[in-house]
Amino acid sequence: MGQEVDMKPADPAPPSVLSQMKVVITSIEKGVSNKEMRLMARANRQMLVVRRQLNASVVNAFLKHALPAGSDALARLSPFVAGIAKNEKDMDVDTPPISGQSHVSQKQSGLPEVEIFCYLLVTIFLIDQKQLEESKTCSSAAVKRLQQLNRRTLDVLAARVYYYYSYSHELTNSLADIRGTLLALHQTATLRHDELGQETLLNLLLRNYLHYNLYDHAEKLRSKTQRSDSHSNQQLCRYLYYLGKIRTIQLEYTDAKECLLQAARKAPTSARGFKIQCTKWAVIVRLLLGEILERTTFMQPGMRKALRPYFDLTNAVRIGDLELFRQVAEKYSSVFTADKCHNLIVRLRHNVIRTGLRNISIAYSRISLADVATKLHLDSATPVDDAESIVTKAIRDGGIDASVDHSNGWMQSKETSDIYSTQEPQQAFHSRIAFCLNTHNEAVKALRFPPDAHKKQLESSEKRRERQQQEQELAKHIAEEDDDEF
Amino acid sequence: MTVVTTATGLLAMLQEPHPTLKLHALKNLNVLVDKFWPEVSTKVSAIESLYEDDTFHEPELAALVASKVFYYLGELNDSLTYALGAGSLFDVSEDTEYVQTLVAKCVDEYILLSVKAAESNEKEKTVLDPRLVAIVERMLEKCIQDGKIQQAVGIALECRRLDTLEVAISRSENSSAMLSYCLRLSQTFVNNRAFRHEVLRLLVKSYQGLQQPDYLNVCQCLMFLDEPAEVAAILDKLLKGDKNDALLAYQVAFDLFENEYQKFLLNVRNLLPEPSSISKTAPSMVLNGGLSQDNRNGNGISAMTSSGPSAMDSDLTEPLLGNHAAEEAGDIAASSFAPVVERTPYAERLTKLKGILSGETPISLTLQFLYSHNRSDLLILKNIKQSVEMRNSVCHSATIYSNALMHAGTTVDTFLRENLDWLKRATNWAKFSATAGLGVIHRGHHQQGRSLMAPYLPQNGGTGGGSPYSEGGALYALGLIHANHGEGIKQFLLESLRNTSNEVIQHGACLGLGLAALGTADEEIYEDVKNVLYTDSAVAGEAAGIAMGLLMVGTASEKAAEMLAYAHDTQHEKIIRGLALGISLVLYGREEEADTLIEQMTGDQDPVLRYGGMYALAMAYRGTANNSAIRRLLHFAVSDVSDDVRRTAVLALGFVLCSEPEQAPRMVSLLSESYNAHVRYGAAMAVGISCAGSGSSEAISLLEPLTSDAVDFVRQGALIAMAMVLLQTTESREPRVASFRRQLEKIINDKHEETMSKMGAILAQGILDAGGRNVAIMLQSRTGHDRMTAVVGMVVFSQFWYWYPLIYFISLSFAPTAFIGLNEELRMPKFDFVSETKPSLFGYPPSVVPPAATSAVKLPTAVLSTSNRAKVRGAKREAEAKGGKVTVQDAGAGAEGAVGGDKESTSAVKDECSMDVEDGLEKKAVVAEPSSEVLNNPARVVPEQEKFIKFREDSRYTPLKLKRAPSGFVMLRDMTPSEPVELVSTDAPVSAGGAGAVAANTNAVAMVVEDNEVPPPEPFEYVP
Repeated sequence: MGQEVDMKPADPAPPSVLSQMKVVITSIEKGVSNKEMRLMARANRQMLVVRRQLNASVVNAFLKHALPAGSDALARLSPFVAGIAKNEKDMDVDTPPISGQSHVSQKQSGLPEVEIFCYLLVTIFLIDQKQLEESKTCSSAAVKRLQQLNRRTLDVLAARVYYYYSYSHELTNSLADIRGTLLALHQTATLRHDELGQETLLNLLLRNYLHYNLYDHAEKLRSKTQRSDSHSNQQLCRYLYYLGKIRTIQLEYTDAKECLLQAARKAPTSARGFKIQCTKWAVIVRLLLGEILERTTFMQPGMRKALRPYFDLTNAVRIGDLELFRQVAEKYSSVFTADKCHNLIVRLRHNVIRTGLRNISIAYSRISLADVATKLHLDSATPVDDAESIVTKAIRDGGIDASVDHSNGWMQSKETSDIYSTQEPQQAFHSRIAFCLNTHNEAVKALRFPPDAHKKQLESSEKRRERQQQEQELAKHIAEEDDDEF
Repeated sequence: MTVVTTATGLLAMLQEPHPTLKLHALKNLNVLVDKFWPEVSTKVSAIESLYEDDTFHEPELAALVASKVFYYLGELNDSLTYALGAGSLFDVSEDTEYVQTLVAKCVDEYILLSVKAAESNEKEKTVLDPRLVAIVERMLEKCIQDGKIQQAVGIALECRRLDTLEVAISRSENSSAMLSYCLRLSQTFVNNRAFRHEVLRLLVKSYQGLQQPDYLNVCQCLMFLDEPAEVAAILDKLLKGDKNDALLAYQVAFDLFENEYQKFLLNVRNLLPEPSSISKTAPSMVLNGGLSQDNRNGNGISAMTSSGPSAMDSDLTEPLLGNHAAEEAGDIAASSFAPVVERTPYAERLTKLKGILSGETPISLTLQFLYSHNRSDLLILKNIKQSVEMRNSVCHSATIYSNALMHAGTTVDTFLRENLDWLKRATNWAKFSATAGLGVIHRGHHQQGRSLMAPYLPQNGGTGGGSPYSEGGALYALGLIHANHGEGIKQFLLESLRNTSNEVIQHGACLGLGLAALGTADEEIYEDVKNVLYTDSAVAGEAAGIAMGLLMVGTASEKAAEMLAYAHDTQHEKIIRGLALGISLVLYGREEEADTLIEQMTGDQDPVLRYGGMYALAMAYRGTANNSAIRRLLHFAVSDVSDDVRRTAVLALGFVLCSEPEQAPRMVSLLSESYNAHVRYGAAMAVGISCAGSGSSEAISLLEPLTSDAVDFVRQGALIAMAMVLLQTTESREPRVASFRRQLEKIINDKHEETMSKMGAILAQGILDAGGRNVAIMLQSRTGHDRMTAVVGMVVFSQFWYWYPLIYFISLSFAPTAFIGLNEELRMPKFDFVSETKPSLFGYPPSVVPPAATSAVKLPTAVLSTSNRAKVRGAKREAEAKGGKVTVQDAGAGAEGAVGGDKESTSAVKDECSMDVEDGLEKKAVVAEPSSEVLNNPARVVPEQEKFIKFREDSRYTPLKLKRAPSGFVMLRDMTPSEPVELVSTDAPVSAGGAGAVAANTNAVAMVVEDNEVPPPEPFEYVP
């Protein structure tokens, strides 16, 4: 599942993994003392930079550095790492133990933030090493520890821990077990106004429900929780994606499309898997809405291969060829099942028919229903009756602009009117402008104004004042001199 | 049990007709609701209806489930309602988030309801849900049982449960600590005035229930409650006790005095028995102490019967001269009987106590301290004088103001005497204020105040030779001298007011009367001042308006409405402004009570009245940091159309926040960047007022850019505010002091600087070195009560925007930063203690270096008065210090060292010398500074320094109350009373007549004789 929206640019040749980790610790400590959430988030990112280069000895050295000797956490965490170290023994260790460095034994703050960070690190490390069961135990221990703490500075780290807690359970296919815990955690986060945790946990819960196709549960939970403004872009993306999925299932295609497109747009460029997944669903939703997608949608770099089944599917819908549609659906049924959208594909059949019908109505000003049936490859017992009902329904839905002559058994298309005489272009323009304005507003909202940044400007204006004063004085001097002369 | 994935089945069961099924469903749902609440919430209406269904057996279970669902939905109100409905099923002791949240909600709800119930009228009282009350009471009980008394006290205070409060206090292990905690809470957190009084009453009761009642706090509470009778009873009881009790009584009296609540002090004094009658009827008094609290009429009669002609005398003069004279008469009577009736120690003590309460003793001690420790730098004034243009009358009079403030209360008027010619340039109102300045300088000089001012006072017969301006100024000066202790002078002022029809003299007399009779609510004076107001003269009317306010401070009487009515009638803006300010003073400290009038004023069409409304808000909510007041002020600060109102609204924030100085800079920081110059000015002043003397770096950072603002009057305000903030802050504590002083100097010397900011700089110099560098601006007393006089003074001071003579009012908010240790004789014994910090951290600022060419000015009076000591010290220093050091010292530094010093421990002297050298010549290597210094009684102790003060264990004297802050008047306990007492040599201010007062000399002498103080009791009486 490629929905992990982490940025993983692999920076080559860092100075030393351990020293980088130490920088992370200092930034956590600073973040705690200044109550600055951004520093904590930065610590997370810094850790992800070195994630790929971690190995057992580094992690071990780091744990010894960060945690006070003899603490519970150290005793609990080191066995996990030790297990890996055994397997790793043959491999050569690129970082020699740096514990010889003098400043290693600097004050070891017993900050709970650092402790949780260590839990997080070990969990990620275990997941990377495919020690899934261990990572599950480790993350559960972390969550248990978190439940005892109530510190707002922990929120950022806690959100990460929750994520990996859920992720490790997902990998071991035991998501259902943690649903209760997640619900309890979510409630706690709500009570403590931990908005980041609230967001993260809500997403995890939605994912949990959707994993078991419990769309109804998911929707009920989603609609009953109070949501505040989003703090994390990643969580917002996920939320929109899940919401889009729920909406799709509930037949609210317009909303669903908006959500899914927004999710795809907001996702960071590095989160390719997530983007592909969003695009897949968006394609289906747009097809269900009767739109025909542009070719470029499927030709985006890096997505081409993954989107191939959907490209063929779109093609079938575009042509309105039921036969082709059936073939595509059969051919890629395994892909669609994996993507959990097979039921939607079934729904699409109706759209194929409608598109075919529209093509027919454009091409012929009048056509008999029997011909319609053959063109649509309707292979039922009474194709003409079926065609009649399909055409009638399409007319009623506004899909085609035509009328049915029941006595003669044909369909009469109406003259296509000039679209520019309607409000259609205006509306199209409006929607584009609204989109632009919305984007602009969101960009403005996302701007950060560091405190006291305007002070510098003030000082410069003060200098300006002094200059003006000097000028005035000069003028006065000249005036006085003039007076003296007379 | 297998994993349940949905609760649909159970929910469907709720629809079943059979109650057993429903019950089963509910029971299961109660367990599962934590996991399936999103599903259950869709059917919550079914559960609700089950709760209301009469036929259903367990509505409580249904309520519990519904409560949980609502809790998860975030509807805490509904959740609470159902939790209460769940009765016993809702287990308070359960340790889950659900229960904890709901209990917290419960307490919140209860607080809300009970506050609402308490504040609404008796009739429409809502009945509280008994179940709610039960839960809260259970929680409180649990708190108390777990020993979390502070929480219990806090909650009890918040939900106005005096009964629980009492229980909590009585059951705590450390009752007295809890009581003081409670006292602090009641002052800072209880917003409702009426309720605060109830709490205080309870506290008094609990205090008195203790084994050893803390009389200091009890009397503070009682003062707050305005119950002089009880205070008098306590004092009386203490006086009858042993020596320590008497000391305590004095300490109580001093503490009461510090709060400067004139009317209350007078009442207490009057309720105490007269010492003269005691001397006569002492035995019977001891028997029935209740009688001794009788009012003074009774005493007057007994005095009359006992002391014959002199008592007759006293009876006659009493209505004229007030209590002061009456007491003296009584004393004369007593002393005349001394050979016959031996004065009991009780009567002695009583006399002393009355001396304290009347302010006589403390004021004269303060005066002595300020005089002997005066360290003002005349060179600064000289520099100002030289650099200020002669023609510019604003700067000229600003220099005079500055001089007055610098020497406030020190009685040192050298500068004026030396520059009589220069002084003559002051004409008209400048003359008025120049004369009034003498009042500031001689503030507290009660005995000789009148003789000092005699040459300027209006002569009998109305039109004397003097100009009305100096006469008016002199009356104002008398008011300033006797500010808040005007028993002896108010009659004279009143007569002066009646005898004149000149509006300038009326102006001065009104202000003087207002000051002298501050807060006494004297009807007679009020009527006279009102008559002046009704003459509808702008000049006199303005002063009358302010004077009426001063008289009626804090009474919130219906007089305010009367004043408002007249303000609507009159056409003169000056009068309206005076009245508006007066009304705001009347509302002083009344908080919610004042709201109706405030609403009326702030909603008025006239901007001047709205402006008064801002002040009314400031006064009514002074030092409370009340949120609603702050909100209203901020609203006006940004929305009013009149600049004056906006400025005042911001300024008023300073008063509301004066108890929490750290809040103010944050609150006005945005306003200080306003585009509107008036708002910026207000912001500067607000910070200055609330952070006065704190040296808070936030405040300085906020003010710093404003001192170089583009608009001149903003610079003025910022400079003054900065001076207020930096008052008594030394360079080693805040390096920006030095740069600020340099900035002031630069502005004063700058020819092209605008007059307004120049005036600001001159005033700032005065404030920065106020009172001979020995006073601080304190709007709150050490016990955390607001000092009414100080606040009032500051408010009227802020009016100088319109009327410069009002600048002098700032002297009311000056409080000496002194430690004055007193023995039971109320004399200062020789006593020293340690300040455990570097001397430079709280020392005096270095004196200004005179320019190299001109020789240093001598410090005339100071040198004269202390010349003996200076000589002695000079010799001593020569013996100790290296010869080179002394020789390089110039005359100024030497003299200064002499004045500076009661810190006479040898090390300190040595150090001081070396420091002087350093400052003076800037060439000496840095001498390592000692980490502590020895201070001698009486000493200058800056408020920030208090925490460093330590008393020696082996000292002969120890303070009576160790916990009390070591400043102000401290009663000392003598550990070895048998040894002879060594007193600090007192150098009282020289009794000089007014400048050039030859003509009036005879008059002055006569008055001096009349006002002579009672001779101190002989020391031998106390040697066993």
